[in-house]
Amino acid sequence: MPYLGSEDVVKELKKALCNPHIQADRLRYRNVIQRVIRHMTQGLDMSGVFMEMVKASATVDIVQKKLVYLYMCTYAPLKPDLALLAINTLCKDCSDPNPMVRGLALRSMCSLRMPGVQEYTQQPILNGLRDKASYVRRVAVLGCAKMHNLHGDSEVDGALVHELYSLLRDQDPIVVVNCLRSLEEILKHEGGVVINKPIAHHLLNRMSKLDQWGQAEVLTFLLRYQPRSEEELFDILNLLDSFLKSSSPGVVIGATKLFLILAKKFPHVQTDVLMRVKGPLLAACSSESRELCFVALCHVRQILHSLPGHFSSHYKKFFCSYWEPHYIKLQKVEVLCELVNDENVQQVLEELRGYCTDVSVDFAQAAIFAIGGIARTYTDQCVQILTELLGLQQEHITTVVVQTFRDLVWLCPQCTEAVCQALPGCEENIQDSEGKQALIWLLGVHGEKIPNAPYVLEDFVENVKSETFPAVKMELLTALLRLFLSRPAECQDVLGRLLHYCIEEEKDMAVRDRGLFYYRLLLLGIDEVKRILCSPKSDPSLGLLEDQPERPVNSWASDFNTLVPVYGRARWATIFKHQGTEHCGPELPHSAPFATSGHLISEENKERAQELPDSEALMLIPNCQLTAEYFEKTWLSLEVAHQQVLPWQGEVHPSTLQMALQVVNIQTIALSRVGARPWKAYLGAQDASGCLFLAELLLEPENSEMQISVKQSEKRTETLTRFFSVLETVIGTVGDMKS
Amino acid sequence: MIHSLFLINSSGDIFLEKHWKSVVSRSVCDYFFEAQERATEAENVPPVIPTPHHYLLSVYRHKIFFVAVIQTEVPPLFVIEFLHRVVDTFQDYFGVCSEPVIKDNVVVVYEVLEEMLDNGFPLATESNILKELIKPPTILRTVVNTITGSTNVGDQLPTGQLSVVPWRRTGVKYTNNEAYFDVIEEIDAIIDKSGSTITAEIQGVIDACVKLTGMPDLTLSFMNPRLLDDVSFHPCVRFKRWESERILSFIPPDGNFRLLSYHVSAQNLVAIPVYVKHSISFRGSNSLGRFEITVGPKQTMGKTIEGVTVLSQMPRGVLNMSLTPSQGTHTFDPVTKMLSWDVGKINPQKLPSLKGTMSLQAGASKPDENPTINLQFKIQQLAISGLKVNRLDMYGEKYKPFKGIKYMTKAGKFQVRT
Repeated sequence: MPYLGSEDVVKELKKALCNPHIQADRLRYRNVIQRVIRHMTQGLDMSGVFMEMVKASATVDIVQKKLVYLYMCTYAPLKPDLALLAINTLCKDCSDPNPMVRGLALRSMCSLRMPGVQEYTQQPILNGLRDKASYVRRVAVLGCAKMHNLHGDSEVDGALVHELYSLLRDQDPIVVVNCLRSLEEILKHEGGVVINKPIAHHLLNRMSKLDQWGQAEVLTFLLRYQPRSEEELFDILNLLDSFLKSSSPGVVIGATKLFLILAKKFPHVQTDVLMRVKGPLLAACSSESRELCFVALCHVRQILHSLPGHFSSHYKKFFCSYWEPHYIKLQKVEVLCELVNDENVQQVLEELRGYCTDVSVDFAQAAIFAIGGIARTYTDQCVQILTELLGLQQEHITTVVVQTFRDLVWLCPQCTEAVCQALPGCEENIQDSEGKQALIWLLGVHGEKIPNAPYVLEDFVENVKSETFPAVKMELLTALLRLFLSRPAECQDVLGRLLHYCIEEEKDMAVRDRGLFYYRLLLLGIDEVKRILCSPKSDPSLGLLEDQPERPVNSWASDFNTLVPVYGRARWATIFKHQGTEHCGPELPHSAPFATSGHLISEENKERAQELPDSEALMLIPNCQLTAEYFEKTWLSLEVAHQQVLPWQGEVHPSTLQMALQVVNIQTIALSRVGARPWKAYLGAQDASGCLFLAELLLEPENSEMQISVKQSEKRTETLTRFFSVLETVIGTVGDMKS
Repeated sequence: MIHSLFLINSSGDIFLEKHWKSVVSRSVCDYFFEAQERATEAENVPPVIPTPHHYLLSVYRHKIFFVAVIQTEVPPLFVIEFLHRVVDTFQDYFGVCSEPVIKDNVVVVYEVLEEMLDNGFPLATESNILKELIKPPTILRTVVNTITGSTNVGDQLPTGQLSVVPWRRTGVKYTNNEAYFDVIEEIDAIIDKSGSTITAEIQGVIDACVKLTGMPDLTLSFMNPRLLDDVSFHPCVRFKRWESERILSFIPPDGNFRLLSYHVSAQNLVAIPVYVKHSISFRGSNSLGRFEITVGPKQTMGKTIEGVTVLSQMPRGVLNMSLTPSQGTHTFDPVTKMLSWDVGKINPQKLPSLKGTMSLQAGASKPDENPTINLQFKIQQLAISGLKVNRLDMYGEKYKPFKGIKYMTKAGKFQVRT
């Protein structure tokens, strides 16, 4: 590293090292060498005194030797020719009577990292592998790997590999583990070290003799071994049982992973193991080390994906304490969200309510989003809390609450009334783009239920010139036009002004285009506007239903005890990006609720709309009310237009299916009760042109398939296939969630 | 496994680096600095940071970040635990682990790191073995070394490495044979406004200091072993024996070690030894608030509560506080808004209290107006969970050892909401 003044320092040290008086005085000499090392550790380039340091290596003083070797390992790649001079001393030291010196010399020689060193190291390494001191053997074994890395392309030395495999039976536990590490690196291209039955059993028997690092690593290596029989498998599991209670969390998690992988065909064993590590995991979650806590919490979340409610009785352990760092609090809030059940919902919500007024804006907002998440199941309580929060009139709180409301109204239409009553007055406390967009959207879509909606929007229009976010202006255009449809008298004037502004004065092209588009649309007449603007919703909520499927343990077992649960692939990046900026609710797809008016909104929503072209083109009427009698009559009078069989596993959850179907405007006429064999369901829907679709779902107990028959009142194959694909998507989604 | 290690202080300077494989450029730490800048406080820097080619795993202790550079996917717990072990070792060597101390002892630090990891894999991590390889610096030894010119490095290999029992060296000899056990319990609790417990759990450890000749085989039994919910042991403890008889049977390591750690949580009711009575109001006249807290003993089984400290982060709106304590000393830092009150012992006849007024910023009230009170305390001769050692027996050796057991209860993360 270039450093001002480093040249002077080098010059001075060089002089000191050459000074015969200093060389004669062991202590002073060593002090100078220590100064060189000190500068080196601070990143100064000390390679200038290499020659002098090499000379200093010829000494009987172990400390001095150690220091010089440290120095050489750092700078040898820069001065390969000079480093060769030191090789001689090193070789001599490799046969020193003191094992410490032998080990030290061998380790340094292997760490030199310069070309050509291999020919000198070969013999000392081979000697080292057979040395009687385990210290030297440990060093020699790793030396093999270092040498191999240095010459990455060189061929694997069969004899050496053989020797290392035989050293797996060494007395010394660290030599054994080092052999594994070394072989793993040398045989990287062949898939690493091979764990066959004798090796696996040998390692298993030595496990208790290893230190915690060795145990953790051997547990990872054992993942490669596939037991031949069930009996052997359970023997192994019995042997490893005590490691689930190890004092090192790393070993506990490592053992858990091995259990999960080995028992992948025995779900009850997996569940049992997860029950048993509950204690140690919870202990790690309240560990003194923040970092351990964090990683443990990430793993808890991973487990919750498959076993929701696994930690429910311990929900209080996940309450945040004031002095914890942010990253732990955010994890805990997410865990809390997933632990909510009928018994603890009151306490959890009270706790979360407390976090909403935290000093840290990020944390407060994360807590509000969390309440929003819980609101999907416990709507009334949550909406009440959120409404109370609005009363605080804090900017950062109000904006997030309004965003949460927007998402809620979309997912749980039953809370619309309550939300609409809470909204008036919010507009004074919202400054940021996301919040404004959410508020405007709500005012536009549910404006007929909010008395002062036109006037709030009018205020926004008044200030549109000073508005900095184009997204807000676009939202305003759409909202106002929509409100104009339901309350024309109050909105006409304002809409005119806004359109005028957008077309005549606006600089942003997207906003101007949108304005022009609406203007021309209005010229075509009000019916056309209605057709475009109030077309039925495409259904991102299906995606939302999908985002919390119970995943089988096997789907994540291989990710357990790696970094994946920690940064969760793409997720980590999002959390990271949003930290300290606007919001921290990564699990709510904020783009979703905008998608109401199809192509008109924004880029990302366009993509969404294209993902679901079928439901877009086929317009099913939201509230078609078919009576059972009418259905029966029609059903009997029609021919089956289409019949298909879809794969299906296990039971059906009628409520989930019904909810999912309702979202895409398919009405459920009748359902068998859960567990009935055969299980049947009758569905009905009507599209905009009045064409009726009737469908029957039939689940035969013996085959794992669902038979679907669809009948249609008017024969049109095009709409029929579309209707069927909608139905297929829903059933596919619900099916995925279960398995 | 661990490619390189960087030591970074809270102002973002790298003051030590060590590479075990090839040299990784310092520029990799730029990603870390970015995260450090984004986090408002040092504690909030996330412990795992992915960069395009590496992962940075860090632990933050003693105001120093220990940042490990990892090139392949690794078990994160393994690395984090190892980093903590490194810090523990430094602390063990130098008494304190701080930036100046590490800078002063940089050469020893380097030697220790060199022995702890080879090619990125943990090698010698047991502190007693390390200490035989590299002697820790002491003032006396520095003086002796200067006079005699001898060194800090052991000349002999540690004998422990050749023993049949990996954690105990052979040929141990003492003139006084003693075995001491400390039962230390920490209470983590959150108490709500009204004084009722939201969560409480006890984290306990038994630390031992065993100086016994030869190869003693010890058994330790408890009066009430069922109390222990979730136990983890030192590798020396025979797990099967615990499972079947609830007895700890082990050949102890020589010197200091942690025999076991345990948890006692919600299932067993946790006794809370102190209470805090508080009345804090921010709505006084002339932007003055009232503040009053009293600390008193609750369930202490007749033992005294000592070393009590009260810490509280006051809201931003508090400009200053003028308080009078009935005992002890208090400080309020108007910049960080941190109130700390060093109470000392609690006398049940005359409860310590701190009262006075706060001057508040004129204007809007903040939502965070209820500060949290953090409490530290100690109780000697009491394990709050009620855990009691029944007896300690020794087999395998003929002499009579001296045995001692001490109990202590401390506050862990003990917070009271107001």
